Amino acid sequence: MKFGNRILKIFLLSVFCIFLFSAMAMASGHETGTTHDTAAVHEEAAHGAADAGHGGGHGHVNLGETLPLWSCIPFACMLFSIALFPLLAPKFWHHHFGKVSAFWAACLGIPFLIAFKWLAVHEILHIILADYVPFIILLWALFTISGGIMLKGRLRGTPVVNTIMILIGTLLASWMGTTGAAMLMIRPFLKANNYRKNRTFMVVFFIFLVANVGGSLTPLGDPPLFLGFLHGVSFFWTMHIMPHMLVTAGILLVIYFILDSYHYKKEGFTSAPLEEEGEKQPLKLVGLLNFVFLGGVVGSVLMSGIVDWGSVSTFGIHRGLQDWIRDGLLILMGVLSLLTTSKKIHEENEFGWFPIIEVGYLFIGIFITMVPCLLILKAGLNGEFAFLIAAVKKPLHYFWVTGALSGFLDNAPTYLTFFNTALGAFYPGMPEAQAVPLLMTESSIYLKAISAGAVFFGSFSYIGNAPNFMVRSIAEESGTPMPSFFGYILKFSMVYLLPTFLIVTFIFF
Amino acid sequence: MEFKKILFPTKFRELAFNSLESILELKKAGLKEVVLTYIIPRDEVAFVPYGGYMKDEEERLREQARIRFEDWQQSISKHGIKSTIRIEVGNPIPKIMSIAEEEKVDMIVAGRKKRTVLDKVHVGSHTLDLVRRSSVPVLISKYMVRFEWEGHLITRVNDRIFTRPLLATDWSEPSEKALKLVSSFKELADKVMVTHIIGVKISKGLDKSELNRIEKESKERLEEYCDRLKRDGINAEPHLFSGRSANEIARVAREHKASMIVMGTTGKDRLKQFWLGSVSHRVTESSELPVLLVP
Repeated sequence: MKFGNRILKIFLLSVFCIFLFSAMAMASGHETGTTHDTAAVHEEAAHGAADAGHGGGHGHVNLGETLPLWSCIPFACMLFSIALFPLLAPKFWHHHFGKVSAFWAACLGIPFLIAFKWLAVHEILHIILADYVPFIILLWALFTISGGIMLKGRLRGTPVVNTIMILIGTLLASWMGTTGAAMLMIRPFLKANNYRKNRTFMVVFFIFLVANVGGSLTPLGDPPLFLGFLHGVSFFWTMHIMPHMLVTAGILLVIYFILDSYHYKKEGFTSAPLEEEGEKQPLKLVGLLNFVFLGGVVGSVLMSGIVDWGSVSTFGIHRGLQDWIRDGLLILMGVLSLLTTSKKIHEENEFGWFPIIEVGYLFIGIFITMVPCLLILKAGLNGEFAFLIAAVKKPLHYFWVTGALSGFLDNAPTYLTFFNTALGAFYPGMPEAQAVPLLMTESSIYLKAISAGAVFFGSFSYIGNAPNFMVRSIAEESGTPMPSFFGYILKFSMVYLLPTFLIVTFIFF
Repeated sequence: MEFKKILFPTKFRELAFNSLESILELKKAGLKEVVLTYIIPRDEVAFVPYGGYMKDEEERLREQARIRFEDWQQSISKHGIKSTIRIEVGNPIPKIMSIAEEEKVDMIVAGRKKRTVLDKVHVGSHTLDLVRRSSVPVLISKYMVRFEWEGHLITRVNDRIFTRPLLATDWSEPSEKALKLVSSFKELADKVMVTHIIGVKISKGLDKSELNRIEKESKERLEEYCDRLKRDGINAEPHLFSGRSANEIARVAREHKASMIVMGTTGKDRLKQFWLGSVSHRVTESSELPVLLVP
């Protein structure tokens, strides 16, 4: 074990040194090959950000054209760590995921800072302040507020009741986030079905619909869409995905109902078991005040998308005043929820901070390591990803490539990657503030493909979207056997999701 | 009031078993059953980022706890006391509370916090939370504590904790319950020191005659408490002091070589406790002696 640890340390040190030396070599090339002096670069960086206007996103095309492909390796390693560690070394991962995230962030961050100095500082600060901070604040607020709502009582899990419960969760997901809706509904759903023998498929369809597909209608629904919102996609634009969502959810719900009815009959249930009858309790929603705070979240996000109160410079990063106010209001809503929700509700909901802390740790690594990748993509055909931009041309390409990667990597960074691919392909060099409205109108089918691909395919594996593993964890803890990583893909995703997505492609893309 | 059934939750920290052994002498006070409890914190096994639930790890922790408890059970049975094992996954404090309710226990025994180089506070926030919310008495056992006294570092072992209890009373309903509870120590206690502190808040601004009246009344009440204990067959002596309640209780306990402190607790919520403070909680935190808090 000690020997293994030593090998691991040597390997990690070697990886870090390789990135460091490569960056130093690059730094010397960069210094001789460009006319930027530090101050000028810094000024240009700040100026570029100010130009970006709402959403704060912008692209330093020169840097994107300069960066080598290998600068994306830490990002790939970060995503593969998320994909592989939980499978190969779950115990190590559970206790050290924060260190793994910090390691890959350092592998990119330190060499990047050495090579590009103030420009790198600006890029990293920009992604933290303009993307990571609001992203985490929104997730935290939705997680906190939904943790204060509880569906008490007990239903009998018949096919009709189960389908209705999944449908309600699917409808709620766009307004309280897939995580919030999944956390609200999963325990009553499991409780209603604890007398059923085969519950595995139920939880899998719950993941498909409540934890993923349902969140496709607003930026609150799924993290990728909120990232799009932060980069200038308007709040209600995502409603354009409604036809895609209705078709996908409709097909999956019909399949679910057929499967549940089949198993229900096969298990021989025509009425509830006697012991269950005595335990029947009327349904009751508690923590209702939290719906007011949820309304506050929707209002805050909407407000930040509608008004323009000018921008504020923080460490040289220009962000809209309305964005800071939105973030403040979201924190306020979360704090009010914590103060007004009784401890009993939190305890009965088994509410804890660990899931949101781990998302916070992992996503800081993801966001920092993805900086070069996004810059190269924004450079369009002038960047190292020209081959990808040239290959991904049609809407169906965007849908399937975004989707395929979202299924196995987290869907939020994947969305941002292909969002930038589209910007680079159609509007290379154009500031994001100008390019995004064009992408929403004249090239909207591409944005629909990216959005639908990222959200829908998030359900393809346990690692596609954060709530998937939370639902799996709660289901397993309550005694519902869940398929393995590959079992989930082979027995469920390939069988039910793949044909559904083919139909969606055929109809819309 | 009797201790027929007690809940002994543990994290298997050092000296946890010694702590358990030190309370088995409650057999003489009517102890019949101990519920040994280990709560596997949910965060240890659940919500593996992008993974799920570590069923194997849960099984391993369960098995590890079961083996330890079975070893402990041998010692418990030697004292002629029955024992049961409860190992569950969850948030520790709410889970302990719900098990206490399900098992209808008469007392919960909580351990001291993880030892640091020099402990100034002997209990952690989780134990205080348990104390605040429990509807049954909670004993904070503090088997071994290290503390600084007059510049010296002292290590104290609290083993025969029921021999010289100090009952600190403020005449409240919980104090009355605490008195009844101490009565059950008749086979264990050599002497009970019944103590009342006229707090600074009460004595401040009062004229001498009013203070004398309070002092006289307090002495009479103390005598009454002692008489009640003596009627139950326990040797008891009154002690009246004035000053800062928590500090005075700790001082008197040391001076009179008390083996534990017993007191009522009013169960202020977290917010009230933060603003107003709580004598019982301050004593629990700062005293090197085991503290039995009666709600």
